[in-house]
Amino acid sequence: MDPISYYLQTALNGVLAGCVYALFAMGLTLIYGVLNFVNFAHGELIMWGAYFLFLFMGEPFGLPLYAALPPALALTGCLGIAMDFSVFRHIRRANRLTLLIAAMGLSVFLRNAAQFFWGAEVRTYGLEVTAGMRILGLTLTTPQIAIIAVTILCVAAVYVLFFKSRLGKSMRALSDNLDLARISGIDTKRAILAAWVISAVLAGIGGILLALDTNLSPEMGVINLIKAFAATLIGGVGNLWGALLGGLLIGLAENLGVLFVSPSYKDGIAFVIMVIILLARPYVIIGERSD
Amino acid sequence: MKKLAALVAVIAVVSTAAAPPARAADTIKIGAAFALSGSIAVYGEGFKKCVDLAVEEINAKGGIKGKKIEIVYEDNKSNPKDCVTAVRKLITVDKVPVIFGPAGSSNFMATAPVAQENKVVLISAQGAAVGLTRAGDYIFRVFPSDTLQGPHLAKLAMSKGYKKVPVMYVNNDWGLGLKNAFVDAYKKMGGTVTDLIPYDEKKTDYRTELLRASKGNPPAIVNLTYINEGAVQFKQAFEMGIKTQWLCGSAARAPKMVELAGKAAEGVIGTYPSVPQNTKAYQAFKEAYKKKYGDDKIPIFGDYNYDMVYLTAKAIEKGGYTADGIRKALPQVAKGYKGVTGDKTFDDERSPKYAEYGIWTVKDGKIEDYKK
Repeated sequence: MDPISYYLQTALNGVLAGCVYALFAMGLTLIYGVLNFVNFAHGELIMWGAYFLFLFMGEPFGLPLYAALPPALALTGCLGIAMDFSVFRHIRRANRLTLLIAAMGLSVFLRNAAQFFWGAEVRTYGLEVTAGMRILGLTLTTPQIAIIAVTILCVAAVYVLFFKSRLGKSMRALSDNLDLARISGIDTKRAILAAWVISAVLAGIGGILLALDTNLSPEMGVINLIKAFAATLIGGVGNLWGALLGGLLIGLAENLGVLFVSPSYKDGIAFVIMVIILLARPYVIIGERSD
Repeated sequence: MKKLAALVAVIAVVSTAAAPPARAADTIKIGAAFALSGSIAVYGEGFKKCVDLAVEEINAKGGIKGKKIEIVYEDNKSNPKDCVTAVRKLITVDKVPVIFGPAGSSNFMATAPVAQENKVVLISAQGAAVGLTRAGDYIFRVFPSDTLQGPHLAKLAMSKGYKKVPVMYVNNDWGLGLKNAFVDAYKKMGGTVTDLIPYDEKKTDYRTELLRASKGNPPAIVNLTYINEGAVQFKQAFEMGIKTQWLCGSAARAPKMVELAGKAAEGVIGTYPSVPQNTKAYQAFKEAYKKKYGDDKIPIFGDYNYDMVYLTAKAIEKGGYTADGIRKALPQVAKGYKGVTGDKTFDDERSPKYAEYGIWTVKDGKIEDYKK
C-alpha cells in the first residue's frame, strides 16, 4: 500500500468510527438538551439496540436483517420510553447528582439484564464475512458503506425534524427553558417522550451498525458511551451539530493516533481530549449552557 | 428498637464465637476458589469434576496417611474481586494451608499476594501468564508458563522462513509476557521484529492497528490474541484484503474463535501446550473420567487440575499438613513426577520446567493439529 492510501485508509477508518460515535453523541446530547442531565444509561440503549436485532434475527423469529430492523428499532425506542417512565420521570426535578446516580444504576441493571438473557460472551449476527471493495486504493465493506449512508440519512432526518417540524420546535423550546415552554402551552410531555424515542433510536441504529461491522457484547455500550460523551463535550453539550463534529473528531484522532502513538493508547486519546475540553470549558460541569 | 438491635448484635457475636471449631484433624481440607458462576463458570464446572475425580481416587486408596481429603469449594464468580473474597474466606474461616487458585491469569494474580501475605500455598492449574508465580514463594502452577511457549513460537516462525515479522499483542499480563518471551527467542535465532503493536482487550475496531501491522505487506504477522479479539481482527483483516500468514499463541485456539471469525480464520496457525494423549497415564485418566461421568470428553485443562490434586496430596504426605511443609515438599515430590500432563518438575519460578508444544491450525472451520 502506498503511503498516501495508507494515511487515507486510516482517515477513512477514523471517519467510520466517528460516524458511529456521532450517532451515539447526538442522542446523548439531545436528552441533555431537553432534560438537562447526562444519561449514563445511553450506552445500554446502544447495546440493547444491537441485541434486539440479534433477537429478531435468531430463533424463534429467524427474520432476515431488513425485516428484523423495524421491530428492533421500535423496541429500542420503547426501551427509551421505559427508562423515562420507570426512573427519570419521577426525579425530573431532582438535582443532577441524583439523576446521574440513577442513570448509572439503570445502566448497570440493563447491562446485567442483557448478560442474563444472552450471556457474557461475544456474539455476531452470523453474516458471511466478505472481502471489502477496493475504491481508489481504499478498502470499504458493505456495512461500512451502510454506516456512512445511514449516518448521513440520520443527520438529515434530525435536521428536518428539529428545524422544520412543530415537534422539533417544541423540543428546542423545551431545551431553552422548560418552565417557559410549559407556560407557553407547549405539550412538554409529548416533546420529552419524542426526545427519548429519538435518542434511543439513534443509539439503537448506531449500536446495530457497530455490531454489523464488528460484533456484539454486553460491554459494547460502556466504552462507546465514553466516546460519545467526549464527542458531546467537544461539540458543546446540547448542541446536535457539535455532537456530529465531535464524534468525527474523536474517531479521526484515535485512529491517526494509532499510527503515530502506540495503539494501546487508543482509548486514552478520547479521554485526553475530554479532559482538555473539561479544563478549557468548565461550564459544562457547572451547568451553564454552552449553546 | 435500639435495645433490640443491640441484643441481636450480641447474639450474633456470641453465636459466631461459640460456633463449633472446624471438624479438626479427621479430614485434610484443601481450599478451591473456583469459577462456579459468572462468565467462565463453564470452565469451572469442568475443573471441579476433574478435581473431584482425583480426590475420590486418592480417598478410595486410603487418603493421605489414613485421612480423607475434603475440598472446600468457594465460588469466585469469575471476577478478580470475588476471587479475592473467596480466597480470604478460605484462609480465615476454613483455615486451609493450601488453595487451588482461580482460573484466568488476572483472577489468579489478584489473589496471589493475598495468599503470599497469609503464607498459604496457592496453586494454578491453567494460568500461562509469565509473571503468574512472581508474588512469592507460596505461589505455584502446574501449567507451563509462556516463557516456554515464546521460543516454540519463534521456532515455528523461523521454520516457515519468516525472518522479519511485526508483532501484535493484547496489552495485558499474558500478552506482554508471551510477547517478551517470543521477541527474545526470535532475536536470538536471527529474526527481526519490524513493529510492536500492543492493543487493548474488548475493543470492536482494530482496523488501524491491522493497517499498521500490515504496512509493507509482511508475509507473516505474529498476533498474540484472545478468542474475541482474534475473531474481530481476522475478520477485519479479511475484509481489508490483508493477505498474510497469522502466527498465534494458544489463547486463540478455540472453536468459539472460529465460529465468530468464520472463514476469515482459515489457515491461521499457532502454538499451544500439548498433552500427549496416547500415554498409559492419560488413557487411565480418561477411562476413570468416563466411568465417573459417562462422558469421554475431558474438560479443557481438566487434566492439569487432576495432576494438581495428586501433586498436592503427595506434598502433604511428605511435608505434613502445613503451608510451609507443603511449600517445601511440592518441588521435591514434583521432581520427575510423571502426571497425565507429563513431567511436572518445577523450575526456579515454581512453574513446570518442561512442556511439549503442538501446532494448531484452522482448517475447514475446525481447529486441528497442523501438518506440514
